[in-house]
Amino acid sequence: MSIRIPDPDTYASLPQEMFVIGTDDSLAEEIARPSTTYWHDVWQRFRKDKLAVIGLVVIAIMTILCIVMPMVSPYTYDGADYLNMNAGPSWAHPCGTDQMGRDQFIRIMYGARISLTIGFVAAAINFAIGVIYGGLAGYLGGRVDMVLMRIVDILSSLPSLLYIVLIMLIFGSNMGSVILALCFTSWIGTARVVRSEVMHLKHSEYVLAGRLAGATTWHLLVHHLVPNAMGPIIVSTAFLIPGAIFSEAFLSFLGIGIQAPQASWGSLANAAIPVMQMYPHLMLFPVIAICITMFSFNFIGDGLRDALDPRLKK
Amino acid sequence: MLKYIIKRLLAGVLTMVVLITVAFFMMHAMPGGPFSPSEEKNVPVEVLERIAASYGLDQPVWKQYLNYWNNLLHGDLGVSYKTVGTVNEKITGHFPYSAKVGGLAVLFSLLIGIPLGLIAALYRGKAADLTTLALATIGISVPVFVLSLLLSYLFSSKLNWLPTYGLDTWACYVLPVVCLSFNPIAYIARQTRSSMLEALEQDYVRTARAKGVSELMVVAKHALKNALTPVITYLGPLVAGLLTGSFVVESRFAIPGLGYYFVRSISDRDYTMIMGIVIFFGFFVVICNLVSDILLAIVDPRVKLAND
Amino acid sequence: MNLLEVRNLNTSFHIGVGTVQAVRNISFHVKQGESVGIVGESGSGKSVTMLSVMGLLPEYADIAADSILFDGREMTKLSKKALRAMHGSEIGMIFQDPMTSLNPLFNVESQLTEPLRIHRHMDKHHARQRALELLRQVEIPNPEARLKQYPHELSGGLRQRVMIATAIACGPKMVIADEPTTALDVTIQAQILDLLQNLKKETQTSIIMITHDLGVIASMCSRILVMYGGTICEQGDAREIFYDPKHPYTWGLLNSIPKVQSRPGEKLIPIKGTPPDMLKPPEGCPFSPRCRCCMPVCRMYMPPTVALSDTHSVACHLMHPNAPKITREG
Repeated sequence: MSIRIPDPDTYASLPQEMFVIGTDDSLAEEIARPSTTYWHDVWQRFRKDKLAVIGLVVIAIMTILCIVMPMVSPYTYDGADYLNMNAGPSWAHPCGTDQMGRDQFIRIMYGARISLTIGFVAAAINFAIGVIYGGLAGYLGGRVDMVLMRIVDILSSLPSLLYIVLIMLIFGSNMGSVILALCFTSWIGTARVVRSEVMHLKHSEYVLAGRLAGATTWHLLVHHLVPNAMGPIIVSTAFLIPGAIFSEAFLSFLGIGIQAPQASWGSLANAAIPVMQMYPHLMLFPVIAICITMFSFNFIGDGLRDALDPRLKK
Repeated sequence: MLKYIIKRLLAGVLTMVVLITVAFFMMHAMPGGPFSPSEEKNVPVEVLERIAASYGLDQPVWKQYLNYWNNLLHGDLGVSYKTVGTVNEKITGHFPYSAKVGGLAVLFSLLIGIPLGLIAALYRGKAADLTTLALATIGISVPVFVLSLLLSYLFSSKLNWLPTYGLDTWACYVLPVVCLSFNPIAYIARQTRSSMLEALEQDYVRTARAKGVSELMVVAKHALKNALTPVITYLGPLVAGLLTGSFVVESRFAIPGLGYYFVRSISDRDYTMIMGIVIFFGFFVVICNLVSDILLAIVDPRVKLAND
Repeated sequence: MNLLEVRNLNTSFHIGVGTVQAVRNISFHVKQGESVGIVGESGSGKSVTMLSVMGLLPEYADIAADSILFDGREMTKLSKKALRAMHGSEIGMIFQDPMTSLNPLFNVESQLTEPLRIHRHMDKHHARQRALELLRQVEIPNPEARLKQYPHELSGGLRQRVMIATAIACGPKMVIADEPTTALDVTIQAQILDLLQNLKKETQTSIIMITHDLGVIASMCSRILVMYGGTICEQGDAREIFYDPKHPYTWGLLNSIPKVQSRPGEKLIPIKGTPPDMLKPPEGCPFSPRCRCCMPVCRMYMPPTVALSDTHSVACHLMHPNAPKITREG
């Protein structure tokens, strides 16, 4: 649409009735853009991110498969078949069989169970610890904040792998201690985000307005601080999931994570190393599973970040 | 500046004290000591007890703790329980291998990561940008152990181009260095890109242009210096992480570095070795963080103020 | 003689959802040694106008003009390099927020001497001497110590003085000040305006003052452009705009500023509604949706600009012979 400029002759001969002053004030409001809710906007933006949606679908399919497949499959994760060792992919065994003739597909599905469980549980626990810790530090402020943040500084100044390895040594190699080890320091990022958001919001005008209107601390936290700080918190939590899955695979790959006969993607890849030359499929399939999952979660995380904070992407 | 450095130094010392204390007591909380009957089934119990006593393991924990500190302050990390030699010898013997590979990887990461991020930011939305973003996503999503497996399968087993063992020739360095720097390159490129984009939109960049500063200098001087501050922050952990040796890459490519020996001492339950390497790692991380903090304070004068 | 003459400038931005027509078909001029005020609400296109003239807009901006003459040279035909040679030497700019407009990682000396070294090719020593001179000129006490300081170590007023010193470093023919006092405390605002006033007297520089504050304009400018919705709706000298305004938007602006001689209880009159969405500007007069004198013609056609005197012109359908005779009061 462009501006309309009348030619001088037409303009000069415009009739009197074109020059009557109307009195409708409502017109001033007509130009406002339609408003939508924040979460509706977020979903709209997320939906437009093709990679993020693909990631979400892949994770959904993988979740369903790893729950259903072990129930309906004729194979189990530890069922050895010595007549069928190191077989390549076939209709019966879509990902082949390993050195003991165990069906690799089912073992990868069990690995998916472990990886996804660890990913979600660790993210949930870290989310909870991070929100409470960061929320306390940010809300109470002052001396408490200083002490809490010093602790965090010390914890985070060392590579988390050192703690993780030590914890795995003490509590033994199983899923529980993997999760415990991952929860030791992974919440720090979330806690920092929550703290700075809470600090920022605490000094914002609308929380002050709420306080002046007589709202209780609890009401303010639940109704103002949490929903407003949600965006960055969700993003940092979303990236915790692939982080946790990666750490588990890594530990199992080193041989101090999930132990045989249980299968994890990391330990499957590790077990395939000696026979990599002869039977590359044993390494390839677990590795593909890890990569697909990591990609999907990273895409979802990127999509969420762009959707929640549109300033970062134009 | 001096006040700032002293402050960071004190924080580093505090971190080390906490780390050493936590690590020491965690080691002692470990079920089954290094010479417990459950570990060594073929040796008579009395012999085991005598060995334990010779290492001072029969003393109360607090006394062992003080002893450890005493030795540590004299620069003595103790004797390896499971291999011949002292922990100090092991660390000084193996660290150079890790440092060589890691140092190359740091250099490689910076030399590729920063220009990549810069080009992506300057050609935003163009092919160069999209390629960089895709590469960065791959770099962040593919775990290093997966990458090392794939690369060694492809370039050694299949193509037979590069060795996967030792550090005898320059070709031996290629795969480990590529594996080690893949993830940092992705991270640095992404970080540089986003902070560069942010810097280019700042008012001071507009001011520089209004002063008649050439486009090259606007980017190379005004924007880049600001854009690199997050990269400097990342530099501390990066150098520390890479120079102390990666567990996975060193195991995979049989590099006799510290990371490799750390994994071995874990499976051997060689507690003094584990302790020693943990402390060495911690020390190294603290030093690297200190250096990157100081570097940051030199580049960004506001940092000192924020920390006061 | 006209130092700057702009004819039919159009600037638009192509963004994802469409094209924002930020500046539409505007023409104006600035005389040698004159100070001109551009006044309007946020988003009226006043900053974009000046940034277009300077050629400082990002690449996704589309700038078209019949002509932009500066000091006898056609700026639309100049190469990027030639334009850059003018920036900071012949035209200086002062921006709104001195905190963000100064680079936090470089000290005052480095930022202040930059234009001197680029345009005057001064060596470090001479540039430093000139920088000290400039700091004294903008009335910064203890200039030697300030040179080594970083922006975050200075107060808002001092920072803006440094910005001004940078803008006038090479003795420009024209200084564009984009809301130079908006981010400052009221007392500092007065000081900065005084300073600009004095500099103008001393150096005979033309000043273009972009602001939404008519008070600032009143104290500084001899001629005023009133902008709305990317167009100039009225322009004239200060007396004409303040005492004989013709455009309903100018009336609104004047009614919304407090006056010292107001009677107690007298209310300020706000302009109702919000500025137009420049993605979809009204086809007719951009002010028509908010105008208390809106007529059917206002919605159909953009009003032509009518010259009332040598200096005073207005773009409003009320100037049409068939239109009712409305005044500011009634």
